[in-house]
Amino acid sequence: MTAAEWHLPDGELRRYGEGTLVPPQLWSTEAHLAACAYCRERLAAAAEPQMTAAGWVRLDAELDAPVPGPVERLLVRAGVAEHTARLLAATPVLRLSWLVAVASTLALAALLANLADPVVFLAVAPLLPVGGVALSFGHRVDPTYEITVVAPIHTFRLLLLRCVAVLSTTTVLSAAATLALPDLGLTALGWFLPALALTLLTLAFMARLGPVLAAVLVGLGWVVLVTSTLGAGSGGSSPFVPVGQLALALAGALGALVLARMHRAFETPRRFR
Amino acid sequence: MTVVSASGLSMRYGRTLALADVAFTLADGVTGLLGPNGAGKTTLLRIVATALVPDRGELTVLGVDPRSESGRLAVRRRLGYLPQDPGFHPGFTAFEFVDYVAILKEQTDRRARHEEVRRVLAAVGLANQRGQKIRALSGGMRQRVALAAALVGDPDLLILDEPTVGLDPEQRLRFREVVAELGEGRSVLLSTHQTEEAMALCQRVIVLDRGTVRFEGAPADLAALARGRVWTTESRVVGALASWRDGTGRYRHVGAPPPGAELLEPTVEDGYLLLVDATAHQGVLA
Repeated sequence: MTAAEWHLPDGELRRYGEGTLVPPQLWSTEAHLAACAYCRERLAAAAEPQMTAAGWVRLDAELDAPVPGPVERLLVRAGVAEHTARLLAATPVLRLSWLVAVASTLALAALLANLADPVVFLAVAPLLPVGGVALSFGHRVDPTYEITVVAPIHTFRLLLLRCVAVLSTTTVLSAAATLALPDLGLTALGWFLPALALTLLTLAFMARLGPVLAAVLVGLGWVVLVTSTLGAGSGGSSPFVPVGQLALALAGALGALVLARMHRAFETPRRFR
Repeated sequence: MTVVSASGLSMRYGRTLALADVAFTLADGVTGLLGPNGAGKTTLLRIVATALVPDRGELTVLGVDPRSESGRLAVRRRLGYLPQDPGFHPGFTAFEFVDYVAILKEQTDRRARHEEVRRVLAAVGLANQRGQKIRALSGGMRQRVALAAALVGDPDLLILDEPTVGLDPEQRLRFREVVAELGEGRSVLLSTHQTEEAMALCQRVIVLDRGTVRFEGAPADLAALARGRVWTTESRVVGALASWRDGTGRYRHVGAPPPGAELLEPTVEDGYLLLVDATAHQGVLA
């Protein structure tokens, strides 16, 4: 059967008529209905006249609505609710320019790790989500910050959504860059726990210090830790040996605990200058 | 009906006192917050909009104290806010931006939300531009997109921070028409440093200067403050608080007139100038 001969299944057509279909299936159904006279006739025959009229109104509105961008469509297909996908699409750092900057930094770090010391990659990769989180939400980085803080949506929820998106993106890119370090074996994944811990610590500090200062302090702390322990342990710098990883996991857990206790602080209005 | 009631509001940024014991009430209709740059207008609007918490003072917005988390949430659900510099996410169309703000305002049902987005864009006269990228729109249209976003959910209180700054006269006129329409049946608080805007739009004005309320009342009462203190001459004089040559080629002066001066009917601008300048020239109004 060719694509032109394919028609909507009865159940899908019935659910559309009843108004119970949800995106993304709703979008594909409506796209097909807009192009297929046969299915439109089937819909008209199967549904009550009132239901059909309501369906046409909905179809008209759907065709009039803008088509979501590729990021939003991808998120919806991955199971994210469409309104959450739109919130995530507005995350300042989830732009192509940021992703290119992250990918370029990782590529350079992987190159230096191969040429000089693997610690370069392991030390740089955890800093990327910290930077991303700092640039996800705040007075100076989010163009709609002022509108957002007076909206009823919980600031903490929005912040967490954006942080998860940033962490997921940088984790995928860092994991891909890890493939450029085949000689390191599992040690090449030593960036993951530090990335998680530093992100959680940044969020924990953010409630009181704001995003930029929190990220700068955590980032500096990380750099000091790595440089001060260079040469220690069998795998190079001690944060990347098992004991160091365990300590970082505990630090991350502590950050999560503090964050859970202080989440209401994010709902308190902050000074703009 | 009192929509906003404030007393003793104070706010300090480091060593700068932005607001000092500000007290005012806000009723239905359009109220203008007049004042020069740096008077504290934006700080005051941000406090009423729950974006800032004052250092001191009492505030009730829509019958609720916004100092508690639940109070803030209750206010935010009935509030529309257009900041002085509304930012837009690059790449969003007018529809997508307003849709994004509607999600921030807890509207998660896609169909109902899209209907609301179409309604508010039509209300500001942008029904045909909804699919255009915001970066491709003129300054006036962008401002109307931001206004449409503020209107999502049909708020009871609309706060507009210098909404016509940077707009050309035609755009300003179009914007005023929209705001005047919106002022029917709800409360609008708008800040401006243009007295003609206050005259054109507002049933009441509040004059704020150096963080203190200098006047609260009807525009006609603000103009009346300058009665007997506005005069005209053929040539320039010294000693007036403000002097300028008007369209007739004569000089118009505001301040203490000399004996036998040819007095003029004062305008809102005259009253405003007298108030604001009087702050710098203590005793003139005494």
